[in-house]
Amino acid sequence: MTNTSHEVVKGPHHSGDAAPIALSAHSITKRFPGVLANDSVDFDVRTGEVHTLLGENGAGKSTLAAMLCGLYQPDSGYLLRNGQQISLSSPRAGLQHGIAMVHQHFRLVERFSVAENVVLGSRNLSFTLNRKSIDEKVAAVAESYGLPIDPSAIVGDLSVGQRQRVEIVKALYQGAEILLLDEPTAVLVPAEVEKLFENVHAMTAAGKSIVFISHKLGEVVEISDRVTVLRGGRVTGHVSGRGSTDTKELARLMVGRDINLSTQRASHATGHEVLQIREVSLKSEGVDILSHITFNVHEGEMVGIAGVAGNGQRELADTIAGLISPTTGTISIGGNMTTDRGPIAAREHGLAYVPEDRLGMGLVPSMSILDNLLLTRDRHIVVDRASVRPEANRLIEQFEIKANDADHVARKLSGGNAQKVLLARELSGGRAATKLLVVCSPTRGLDVGAIETVRRLLDDARSAGQAILLISEDLDEIMSLADRILVLYRGAIVHETKGEAAQLATVGAAMAGLNTEGAA
Amino acid sequence: MRAPFRIIFEQRSDTPKYLTALVPLVSVFAALAAGAIFLMSTGYSVSETYSNMLQDGFLSSRGITDTLGLSTVLICMGVSAAFAFQMNLYNIGGEGQGYLGMIGGAWAGLALGPHLPSAIMIPALLVIGAAFGAAWIFIPAFVRARLGTSETVTTLLLTYVAASLVNHFIYTPNSYFRAPDVTFPMGRTVPDSAKLTAIGDTRMYPTFFIVVALAIFLYWLVKRTEFGYRIQVISDSPKAAHYAGINSRRTTMQVMLISGALAGLGGATLIVGEFGKLDPGITMLGYGYAGIVIAALARNNFAAIIVSGILFSGLRVGGDKLQITTSTPIHIGVMLQGAILLFALGGEAFRRYKIRAVRMQAVAQ
Repeated sequence: MTNTSHEVVKGPHHSGDAAPIALSAHSITKRFPGVLANDSVDFDVRTGEVHTLLGENGAGKSTLAAMLCGLYQPDSGYLLRNGQQISLSSPRAGLQHGIAMVHQHFRLVERFSVAENVVLGSRNLSFTLNRKSIDEKVAAVAESYGLPIDPSAIVGDLSVGQRQRVEIVKALYQGAEILLLDEPTAVLVPAEVEKLFENVHAMTAAGKSIVFISHKLGEVVEISDRVTVLRGGRVTGHVSGRGSTDTKELARLMVGRDINLSTQRASHATGHEVLQIREVSLKSEGVDILSHITFNVHEGEMVGIAGVAGNGQRELADTIAGLISPTTGTISIGGNMTTDRGPIAAREHGLAYVPEDRLGMGLVPSMSILDNLLLTRDRHIVVDRASVRPEANRLIEQFEIKANDADHVARKLSGGNAQKVLLARELSGGRAATKLLVVCSPTRGLDVGAIETVRRLLDDARSAGQAILLISEDLDEIMSLADRILVLYRGAIVHETKGEAAQLATVGAAMAGLNTEGAA
Repeated sequence: MRAPFRIIFEQRSDTPKYLTALVPLVSVFAALAAGAIFLMSTGYSVSETYSNMLQDGFLSSRGITDTLGLSTVLICMGVSAAFAFQMNLYNIGGEGQGYLGMIGGAWAGLALGPHLPSAIMIPALLVIGAAFGAAWIFIPAFVRARLGTSETVTTLLLTYVAASLVNHFIYTPNSYFRAPDVTFPMGRTVPDSAKLTAIGDTRMYPTFFIVVALAIFLYWLVKRTEFGYRIQVISDSPKAAHYAGINSRRTTMQVMLISGALAGLGGATLIVGEFGKLDPGITMLGYGYAGIVIAALARNNFAAIIVSGILFSGLRVGGDKLQITTSTPIHIGVMLQGAILLFALGGEAFRRYKIRAVRMQAVAQ
């Protein structure tokens, strides 16, 4: 297939005599300003198989997938569908060739029923919709692939996993033979992931081809017939054979070196209560965003808040940081009441906050690293940049930030380096020495190397006695880092467990809202 | 088969510094070229017209001093517009706030002039003019900061109200502002203590230097102070401002009031300078609108506004004199201003995009 890449063939069957190739891409190159997103990439998927595109964020997986379905056009290279050259000018052209993408962020109309969403965009609809016949057609398509779904349910009432199923049914209804699933598990709880995988098997059994896009090694090994690893826009390896693959080997192909993500949960004594939250509730437009939240975080302790996105995590963090006033309840930091006092008061009592939205909330994109350091500090009437510069240079060195100098504009930093700038500022204290660090999704979107660094920094801060509240949708991250885990579901804490005693199934069930009592 | 070319616009990740200076410069020349085509097609001599404009606007001693004199109010209007623009606030009512500056300045001169010495009267008049300009933008500023109402619409509409106010004060019989013993409706001239004398034999007033110093001060204010820092954070990322505890509403109010005050000051410079009275003729001159163009050409850079303000002033002065010295229509000057704006805005595409011609993707096999 290609002679430039490193080939590892494992598993029982050699790919040469398998099913016919349904879609292939040859020497695809795609350039964006300043980035070579895909550099003569070759890829193919056979009928009835799951072929995974594995790579870190920014490796070029999504770009390649976008070109496979017609969303982008390659700068050079070409596609073959069943051996015939095709050129896809739009996703609609992709659909005509039976290629459909299920996006990470769903494109559904919440107020429409499942069936209405599925037929949306079909060209052969009659002027008046016959709901009953549509429902029947949609149900028939769904059932033939073992995807149980109620066609008359309103999409707004469905869970995330069910909505994903609607997207898949929609693609199948439109006649897709090749489905591109872009990070499909990112939004799912463990039980839903299992369901998804069952559905994937049902589809491949029915002769569909699946291109699975992911950066999670464990699930890739579980689901894939073949894996193509991308790094920096190039193919760095192929691996075939389900289940027989070594995750270490995949990680090395993906990152380019050996990595170690497991941090040691240090056995250390925890000290005084730094953060005290008492009965905090938040109502917005009559909806309960947070209800009766009560917990503490101690010196030298890391508390993890697990939960599926949109269950009140962001609001909880903003409330602690003083950006939102709770409807009822109190918050104190280091023994000082900070409720309703605003973000500056919270910081004066030792708060540091790394928000989920790094570039745009945590950092000002058009400003330099130096000016961004000043964002949460006391600035005099005439800003004295000269006196801050030595500290900025020191932090750039200490946190291994890849930047030309302190005048490097934040917008031009990579995701990992932007996060390091943010952590450098927040951990180094500003208006007061940092006592409490609130971090939201600290490693989301980062490459494995940066994840390693960020986790080490959090670990160091904990060892130094800072209290840390880690809010993340990445359950693995919370399980491996936190001393104590709280599960947030619909704005309430539904489960609490010690970090080392936490069990994936129990925490996962709590995240999905299944009734579990705080055990452990 | 040879593949055809196609033109692609490629977004730049970074704008080279030289383009920031080059684009306005090229747009001025492109506008001159467009003007040349117009002149040729209507039968006028291009070289004669342009050399006359250059002579009368910049090169003769009368021309350059007239240009610097007129640039005083234009630079003021330019910094007024730019001050709001840099926080993404579109105060396009500098024109109306300028009228109020004239009304306030004329009132101050007429009421206080007889009682105060020049050394106090002149600064007081300028400050009162600026205060009237700020007052005129108070309602747009308040509703923008509190309710998010579009300041573009409110400031523009209030300009028409301000123009009516100017006319009212002059055309109403027995108005305080109207010259009493003249049947023709015109403004009452302020006392000498409220007027500056022109420098030497020119029509240029010392206010020019005040305004230039002000533009430099504003440049420093934005680049070096906490206030300027706040403006930059809010304009780039309101969420980051909220995160850092910066009060966006208060800063919005402050920035808009200062913008209004600068326009008001521009109006007041006309009272201590060439007008010396409230004159309804001001509503025909469009200095406030010109300020928007000047700010745009300078890309809201206060130091660059001094240059673009003088350039525009020269085009106007040179264009006005054409009418007297030759038969070329006066509007060539105005037309060139419009063309410069169009080319400057169009030139933005070159700053943000690289334009390349590429061959359509080669077909394999």
